[in-house]
Amino acid sequence: MSKPHYDREHHAKKATGIGDPQCFKGEAGKAKFKVGDRVRIRNLPDVFYTRCQVYTRGAVGTVTELVYESPAAEDEAWDNTDKPEWFYSVVFRQKELWPEYPDLYAEDTLESEFSERWLEPA
Amino acid sequence: MSSSTREKVMKHLDAVGYLQPAVHKPQHAPYPDEIDHTMYRAYTRSAHDVGGEPDVPMAWEEKEEEQWELNTFATCECLAWRGVWNAEERRRRQNVDVGQTQYLGLPYYGRWLLTAARIMVDKQYVTLTELVNKIDEVKKRYE
Amino acid sequence: MSEHKAAPMVDEVSDFEVLEMAVRELAIEKGLFSADDHRRWTEYIHTLGPLPAARLVAKAWLDPEYRKLAVKDGVKASLEVGVDWINDMPTHFGTPSDYCNLRVLEDTPKVKHVVVCTLCSCYPRPILGQSPEWYRTPNYRRRLVRWPRQVLAEFGLQLPADVEIRVADSNQKTRYIVMPVRPEGTEGWSEEQLAEIVTRDCLIGVAVPRPGVTANALRPIHPAVHPVQHDHGHDHG
Repeated sequence: MSKPHYDREHHAKKATGIGDPQCFKGEAGKAKFKVGDRVRIRNLPDVFYTRCQVYTRGAVGTVTELVYESPAAEDEAWDNTDKPEWFYSVVFRQKELWPEYPDLYAEDTLESEFSERWLEPA
Repeated sequence: MSSSTREKVMKHLDAVGYLQPAVHKPQHAPYPDEIDHTMYRAYTRSAHDVGGEPDVPMAWEEKEEEQWELNTFATCECLAWRGVWNAEERRRRQNVDVGQTQYLGLPYYGRWLLTAARIMVDKQYVTLTELVNKIDEVKKRYE
Repeated sequence: MSEHKAAPMVDEVSDFEVLEMAVRELAIEKGLFSADDHRRWTEYIHTLGPLPAARLVAKAWLDPEYRKLAVKDGVKASLEVGVDWINDMPTHFGTPSDYCNLRVLEDTPKVKHVVVCTLCSCYPRPILGQSPEWYRTPNYRRRLVRWPRQVLAEFGLQLPADVEIRVADSNQKTRYIVMPVRPEGTEGWSEEQLAEIVTRDCLIGVAVPRPGVTANALRPIHPAVHPVQHDHGHDHG
């Protein structure tokens, strides 16, 4: 019988004394978006796993911060950590997400984080 | 074998009749042409992705923690500390791989626990035989 | 389906308890982690509670410079209330599940933040302790992002239309606490006095601090069959 071999130390070696996501700093290359950019959340297939909520797909929001670099959740969920991406904090108007949201509360907002693959210019 | 095993089997067959896939259809395992894009997405969804789903108000309660729940949390964090999985892999397994029925039907830490058992078997640190025998052995301590 | 509500008797061991022992014992026998690792992690969890986050807020209310730091770099600001997000825990690389990126969401008289994790129950354990059960329910996670005003009203918080509600859906590696507005009637209070009114619920954003209110709203408690036996350390609120 053949058994797989797993490297159980790679993350500890990388992150000890540094932290996660700090340990991926500088690995994502140039960021595609900047603070203030209007972005639309892509509707990629979400088969097997995603941390990009379906309720945000197709919605337009504003980048408020480039938060950190990290492997995308969809990769890290199978321990693929060699292609970190930029992560962005994006703010949406609630009216943009939910058509029935009352006009009275038009100022209400929601923020969440997205890895770069999920964003396109709006 | 315990004398009540047959009773347990019959009780189980009754209980699973209550469990349903996400959409109740009179005929299970439908024909391929009955699954359009909407239904395909519904069935292949990540079960954890519940934001915005309609639901009714409920009473907000606090809950006292069971000792096994705390132990389970520590076990899962130790498995990550020692590199058996990372937190994202844990979340994927316990919140999505378990499927809709277990996701909504089991207690929060029940899913953590089943998933901790599963990772050891899936990654071949433990055989299913060893796990089953261990469960049986532990159970016997309390008989 | 009441016939399936077979609650275990107090002296009976549940399926979860059996499986928990089996998994922990096998993991230790196979050398995946040690019994000592498990003990150390359990001890670490017992040190956690909402007090450090409450102190962070109280300190920020009193010290404008610290407030700036808290909003800019939550991990660095945590050090001053005794929480090191990277080295406190036995790993020395943070807790696996909480990562090391804290954001402090600063309320104003015109903006009220509230936190949810729609995908699981991400929560800043190192500074706030274990999450309450209601925070983990699919119900809270389903509804807060879409009907925040209704859900907040259920928690006893009704906000005027000219206050913007901002929901933070904690879906990746950032963990959030809310820094509420310092309430009137607390003029001249010490950091310790202020920290007492910053309850866990205030830090999640479903309540706002009020002078004289030092505990979460009273809710029914679902009791454990075999509760955790420990002293909750500096747990409060």
